[in-house]
Amino acid sequence: MSGLRSFVARRLLLGVAQVVAVVLLVFALTEALPGDAAVVLAGDQPDPARIEAIRTAMELDRPAWERLVDWAAGLLRGDFGTSLTSGRPVAQYLTGAFGPTLLLAALTVALLVPTGVGLGVLAARYEGRLVDRLTSSVTLAVYAVPEFALGVLLVTVFALRLGWLPPTAVGHGTDLLAHPGVLVLPVLVLLARPVCSLVRLVRAGMIDALASPYVAHALRYGVSGARVRYLHALPHALAPAVQQLARTIDWLLCGVVVVETLFVVPGLGTVLLGAVGERDVPVVQGLAVVFGVVTVVLNLGADVIAHRLAPRAGVAA
Amino acid sequence: MAEVLDLRVEIDGRAIVDGVGFRVLPGRVTALVGASGSGKTTTGLALLGEYPGGARVSGEVRVTAGGAVGRTTGGPVGRTGEPVGYVPQHPASVLAPARRVDALLMDIARPLVRHLPRGKRRAAARELVVRALADAQLEDAEALLRRYPHQLSGGQQQRVVLAQALLLGSRVVVADEPTTGQDNPTKRRVVEQLAALARRGIGVVLLSHDLDVVRALADEVVVMRAGRVVESGPVERVWAAPRHPWTRELLDAEGGSTSFDGGGARSRRPVVRVRGLAARYRDGSRSASVVLRVPALDVHAGECLAVVGRSGSGKTTLARCLAGLHRDFEGDVRLDDTVLPRSLRRRTREQLAGVQYVFQDAHASFDEHRPVVQQVARTAVRLRAVDAQEAGREAVKVLARLGLPEDLVRRRPGGLSGGELQRAALARALLARPRVLLCDEITSGLDAVTRRDILETLTEVVGELGDLALVLITHDLATAALAHRVAVLDAGEVVEEGPALEVLHSPRHPFTRSLVGTAEPAARP
Repeated sequence: MSGLRSFVARRLLLGVAQVVAVVLLVFALTEALPGDAAVVLAGDQPDPARIEAIRTAMELDRPAWERLVDWAAGLLRGDFGTSLTSGRPVAQYLTGAFGPTLLLAALTVALLVPTGVGLGVLAARYEGRLVDRLTSSVTLAVYAVPEFALGVLLVTVFALRLGWLPPTAVGHGTDLLAHPGVLVLPVLVLLARPVCSLVRLVRAGMIDALASPYVAHALRYGVSGARVRYLHALPHALAPAVQQLARTIDWLLCGVVVVETLFVVPGLGTVLLGAVGERDVPVVQGLAVVFGVVTVVLNLGADVIAHRLAPRAGVAA
Repeated sequence: MAEVLDLRVEIDGRAIVDGVGFRVLPGRVTALVGASGSGKTTTGLALLGEYPGGARVSGEVRVTAGGAVGRTTGGPVGRTGEPVGYVPQHPASVLAPARRVDALLMDIARPLVRHLPRGKRRAAARELVVRALADAQLEDAEALLRRYPHQLSGGQQQRVVLAQALLLGSRVVVADEPTTGQDNPTKRRVVEQLAALARRGIGVVLLSHDLDVVRALADEVVVMRAGRVVESGPVERVWAAPRHPWTRELLDAEGGSTSFDGGGARSRRPVVRVRGLAARYRDGSRSASVVLRVPALDVHAGECLAVVGRSGSGKTTLARCLAGLHRDFEGDVRLDDTVLPRSLRRRTREQLAGVQYVFQDAHASFDEHRPVVQQVARTAVRLRAVDAQEAGREAVKVLARLGLPEDLVRRRPGGLSGGELQRAALARALLARPRVLLCDEITSGLDAVTRRDILETLTEVVGELGDLALVLITHDLATAALAHRVAVLDAGEVVEEGPALEVLHSPRHPFTRSLVGTAEPAARP
């Protein structure tokens, strides 16, 4: 296990470097965008003198690297800085928006794993039969629909025509749990494509595992079919699915911009969209740090779990 | 104990087992012998209640113990009354890679403790598991149970599989080719373990084409051919006085009548010269470890050099260095007078043609979607710039010389048997007109008759070509004995090298002595 521990330590160090690189890149790219927060704030009175005044007030006239160093120094003390446009601390933005995003992600994953794995095992068990053909073709079809199209379709049918569910989360603030109705459609849209890829991966892995000599051997020695499927075959079949799952959670946590915008969910994606539009560099950088950390931690977790599921493969740094 | 009566297994109207009957007695080893495709594996699996998909089964398989009779007749058959143990050719294949060793053992033990109160079951099952491991001569059971299969040695894996059968309480154990492709010390260990099973009063059914092992282990022999039993009886009688001509042929094949010495055109001119070779394998990012050291080795024109050693001794690495497949080495490999570039990519077309490789797994070395003859002819097109038609004609000719008729080689690889594909692989290599031919365990995994036929053909062809140098990599000393010279590898070092007769009959190095000494498996205790 010491090999695993040093692997985790190496990966975490590498992760810190990756987060730093992401922040630098994001900073450079936002600097490269035409216009800045001062121009945005000046609004429909783009008087050069006024813009210059705002710029001085916001300290945007200082060299870019000085602002970056200042911000980084603050970050080390746990201070994400303040928003340029609203003057509120960036940390407040992040914590406020993280709630809805986390809620959506948690609900989606809670439904995704049992559905994906269950359907995958089912399809593999009846490989080539009706259940399998049905699962495979439906998952392929659903996977081919982009989430904005599916979102629009669901809103049209269930919210506008049938009126069963609210079309968006407008007016509910960040406390979405108090109004579960607004969560149904976003979660369905978020679920649609990940379920399909998970089902297909689990199915492929299970077909291999079920055809393996060790499954035949366990059945031969009188171990029950369900036990063999879920305890002996499934762990081996899950290894590739775990990596895919990590990417999905990453996608869910790092701002599903399209879905949040579509359903007007005040999550990280919505904040990101607003901040980029307003050239609110500190908020964008704060988000970059959060996204970077989430991605590094999730992928590390996935590699550790995959190592547990496929112990022969070893760990590759 | 167990009895098979008039068993017939049919797939698509073709009988793969027909009218087979024999008995398995407690404490006795019954061997089913025969070439590949003789139906011995189907028969063995029938004892386990397993049949190939879509098979029509008639006859009876009875497994009994202490009066209880379980029987299976026809149709898709489930469990028979009494559980039958199974020892596969590769024990690792039946151990789930993502589960620790104790997972399946505990699952097997759980039904055995069902009569106990719920709270005591787990501890009782654990105790049964530990006892079964001890019975299978595994020490330090507690630590071992927490490991994953890949963390065990081959011997430990085999013992774990035996422990599963013992835990199950099997009175009959089927061992499917347990020694095929293994080196001699491993063989000896497997023989010892199966003999120990028999001593416990278990009836062992041995499926094998390794006649050395059969002779050392079996009490009763059932000789099969094309799905039928041609002869059966006590091993001493069958060996001493085989009644059926097929049995005689099978036994003769084991003797090995050919030798590369017939060719005669040996010269003192070295074709391949290896000097100061040290091959490494990089293990992740860590420093490379040297896995093979060959200070000096020559192979002469018209000569056959056998390279022998246990698995992992570096035999294949040597061949891969010569062929340019492994390039992480120091030292010189010369073909005639030029130093060969280490990497395949940097060798000229003549150099590529000059060194040809025949792999152990012939099936994997062919593209399954194209006819065999096309793939064989491609060598001449690629390496000798012959035009496609001419290459095709030449391929058919060489394949015919190796005993493969034209209608056969127009098929895709799936339509050829393992032995036939191995011949096709030889033809493919020969079409390059190589200076040196590297044959890497090309006969291991084949049955005795097929093995002898291939070696005979190879001997003849090498004799006809005259100046071809042949490197024969093998762990089978009977095959090595056919060569002119033998080089013995142990842990990456050449420990002994010399004329075949001298090395194999009066070995000087202790390792060679141990290798030769165990060529005949230990007699039953």
